[in-house]
Amino acid sequence: MYPNKRKLSAAYIKKTATVSAVILIIIFLGIFAVFWNIQIINNEYFRRLAIRNITRSIDLMAPRGLIVDRKGVILSENKINFTLYLVRENVVDMGKTMRLAGFFAAKKNDAIRKIIARYKKYPQFYRIPIKSNLARSTVILIESRQDEFPEFEIGIEPTRTYVFDNCAAHVLGYISEITEAELNQQEWKGYVMGDFIGRSGIEKQYEPYLQGVKGNQIVIKDNLEKIQKIESKINPVIGATVVLTLDLELQKFIEGLFADRSGAVGVLDLQTGGLLAMVSKPDFNPEIFSQEMEKEQWLALSNDPQKPLQNKFLQGIYSPGSVFKIIMALAGLQEKAISLDTTVYCSGSQDFYGRVFHCWNPNGHGTVNIFSALQNSCNIFFYNLGKRLDIDTIARYARMMGLGSTSGIDMANENTGLVPSSAWKMQVSKQRWFPGETISVAIGHGSLNVTPVQMLKMIATVALRGRMPRLHLLQRIEKAGQTIREFTPEFSRVPIDEQNFQVVIEGLFRVVNNEGTGRAAKIAGLDICGKTGTSQIIAKENPNYKMLTKEKRFMPNSWFVSFAPKENPRLAMVVLVENGGDAGAIAAPLSALIYKKYFENERLL
Amino acid sequence: MKDYFKYFDKFTFALLILLTMSGIFLIYSAGFPLKESNYLKQAVWLLFSLVVFFVIFSLKIDFIFRNAFAVYLVLLVILALQIFVGHISAGTKSWFRLGGVNAQFSEFVKVPLALYLAKLMTRFELVSWKEFFKLLLPIAIPVFLIILQPDMGVSFILCSFILLIILLKKIKPAVLIVSFLLLLIAGLAGWNYGLSNYQKNRIISFLNPMKYKTSIGYQVIQSKIAIGSGGLSGKGYLKGSQSQYQFLPVRHTDFIVSVIGEELGFINTAILFFIFFVVFYRQFKFNFQSDEEFYFIYLFNGLILFQFLINVAMAIGFFPVLGISLPFVSYGGSSLLSFFIGEAIVFRIKINNYLT
Repeated sequence: MYPNKRKLSAAYIKKTATVSAVILIIIFLGIFAVFWNIQIINNEYFRRLAIRNITRSIDLMAPRGLIVDRKGVILSENKINFTLYLVRENVVDMGKTMRLAGFFAAKKNDAIRKIIARYKKYPQFYRIPIKSNLARSTVILIESRQDEFPEFEIGIEPTRTYVFDNCAAHVLGYISEITEAELNQQEWKGYVMGDFIGRSGIEKQYEPYLQGVKGNQIVIKDNLEKIQKIESKINPVIGATVVLTLDLELQKFIEGLFADRSGAVGVLDLQTGGLLAMVSKPDFNPEIFSQEMEKEQWLALSNDPQKPLQNKFLQGIYSPGSVFKIIMALAGLQEKAISLDTTVYCSGSQDFYGRVFHCWNPNGHGTVNIFSALQNSCNIFFYNLGKRLDIDTIARYARMMGLGSTSGIDMANENTGLVPSSAWKMQVSKQRWFPGETISVAIGHGSLNVTPVQMLKMIATVALRGRMPRLHLLQRIEKAGQTIREFTPEFSRVPIDEQNFQVVIEGLFRVVNNEGTGRAAKIAGLDICGKTGTSQIIAKENPNYKMLTKEKRFMPNSWFVSFAPKENPRLAMVVLVENGGDAGAIAAPLSALIYKKYFENERLL
Repeated sequence: MKDYFKYFDKFTFALLILLTMSGIFLIYSAGFPLKESNYLKQAVWLLFSLVVFFVIFSLKIDFIFRNAFAVYLVLLVILALQIFVGHISAGTKSWFRLGGVNAQFSEFVKVPLALYLAKLMTRFELVSWKEFFKLLLPIAIPVFLIILQPDMGVSFILCSFILLIILLKKIKPAVLIVSFLLLLIAGLAGWNYGLSNYQKNRIISFLNPMKYKTSIGYQVIQSKIAIGSGGLSGKGYLKGSQSQYQFLPVRHTDFIVSVIGEELGFINTAILFFIFFVVFYRQFKFNFQSDEEFYFIYLFNGLILFQFLINVAMAIGFFPVLGISLPFVSYGGSSLLSFFIGEAIVFRIKINNYLT
């Protein structure tokens, strides 16, 4: 049609076509090679990335094991809690995310930044817990608008709760989040940031048992983090159940008796060495530690002069006062420094080493022997006994009866108290021991310091005529209905003759039942043996003694250590009322009420 | 008429239909998670394109070349108008309402421009400064207008004509060297003053995809994961986790290759590419009646090949994501229609070759 229009040579056209064909072939071979490389050679690599894109592995928190009393009443369990999580990988605009997090969690941005900073070593897809115990309304808001907040997730997890609030707070202890420093320690291997660990009490002591086994869930998610389906799920396993020797009813009863007084009580089952009650007052609600605590709340608790966080039963250090006379009597009898025939005349005061020492009764007790000395808690008798024994002998017997060392009860952070000796004084003050100091120690004063648990162990050993029980709170640990650990009672022998215990027990019986200092503890039908102790906080020699003791905080501490019945004893008890005043008027009657409650409940009275 | 049917390249035509059909098939999968009906729209566009194809095919070649420049001018006016009164869609003004249907006019520049350039190219033996400028100007004007839309993809594709001119014509070396240097300077200036942050991001993220995981580089990573995880035979139609759980962005246009790569595997991707190869390969084997036919065939096919290559390179992270679709396969009615118009002219040139 238009032959004249073509000027290009046929050869040029052919050459162009050939070159084009060659270029085409090279290009397409190249494309095939590249796709072969990506799809076939690197298939495995990309396949893994694709799976990683859509799958999320989510740890499922295991509920902690239950803590129950001897009758199976649940003291500590778990409740449902909503936790707000942040996933950094899905953050689009950090500024917006921070604002939202602050709004959802009702926290300051600094606080949230600090939380996130703790997880900087964790991968970007790790779920960072921002806030637990999220309000339901916030949960609903986030869940219903998940598309808008892909960086936030709501986790439904168990959290610790204490059924009877403050009850037995010091026994149960509390849990709180693990710290960064702890994560680096060998002890906490396998734990991750965000885990909770037992900090005190049973929660700490039996942490490995109470801690359950975490579960895991693998879910399929789309690019907006919407869960499309659950791929696989391993359910978490609840921790083991810890059964305590504690009797909740008795515990609650004693806590009620104490009302707003401060002090400590321990009630021991003499047949097993298990504690039926362990009270420390004032107390706190352990649940506040499993949640996020406000700084003010923490300061209020830790700065309270009555020390609610301290377990006074194990950690409180007190002068034993006249309670120590039990040990003095045992030492004197065993060392044959006194016999049943030994008598001392008490005129109300006596001079030792050029200094006048007083009996608590200024009128004096007249002629006293070991029985009446214990019964009326006569200081003069024990001053004389102290003079006959030297300080190191006294210290040896005190240690024998469990003073100056931890009791070995299954709880951490116990105090040892202090048993003075000549070697101790030389070490501490580079001075020799003065015999005059022994006189004070003989009635439980001076540098002597004890904890209530030591007093309980001591009186229990007296009750059992020299068989010293091992104290414990754990009865057994159960896992899936099987007992995996059980406490078997243990007793050790104290090298003091049984007849000497019989003498002291007779004296302690008279304290309660023969118009002694502990007569307020007397109950019809139950042979209670006990010893009062009124330990001064201010020395009687202080010129301002009368005036100062009008102030509650300078009033003496009241002790009553006791056991019952006299023959085949079942129960030992220590009651300490801080600043309680005269022991016979406060600690002894409180003890009587506790005995009554227990023996009536057990239908033994 | 009987001859028309006899010499009509039925095989290539069938391959083009096949490409578009497989595109609709893939667009269905791409729109599946969000229940989009783009595949239906694309099917309608295909039918319309076929009608237009035969209309254009029935025209005389002379007529087509004669009127190409007028059509080109009309399109330039429309593009200029769009800049002032643009209908904004997906961040670009390039979509224009046309009787209730969104039309992307920049796409329609491709064919008239190729025709006009082909005509111009026949006028010079040796290309020196003056001639080179005369050839560049008709490219530069629409490129400039389309950049203002802004549509980086189409304007970039139009620049492929410059490359093709250089390959097809004898050009003074001095002209080449100087214009290369000018291009370099223009590129640097454009980077610093011309490009918006959004456009810069696209290019930066191509250079360092991992650093911009939540931004545009993320798209390239997800696309590579999709293709690579497809393996030999794919994860199955509608079963690709990357596309069905929407990790793949703009699946129906820019990343349609990733959809087939993931769901249908290397085998089917290779078949798709092979169809393209055959279509291209069959475009050289005939005698030309005129020089302008020759130049048009090379310019038009060169453009398709260029666009094909850029799209595929984009999907595997060899090229920045510029919004360039896969010819015939990706969703986009204007693009499809434009290519079928071009093909109609190619088919017409081919058949003239036999009928004379």
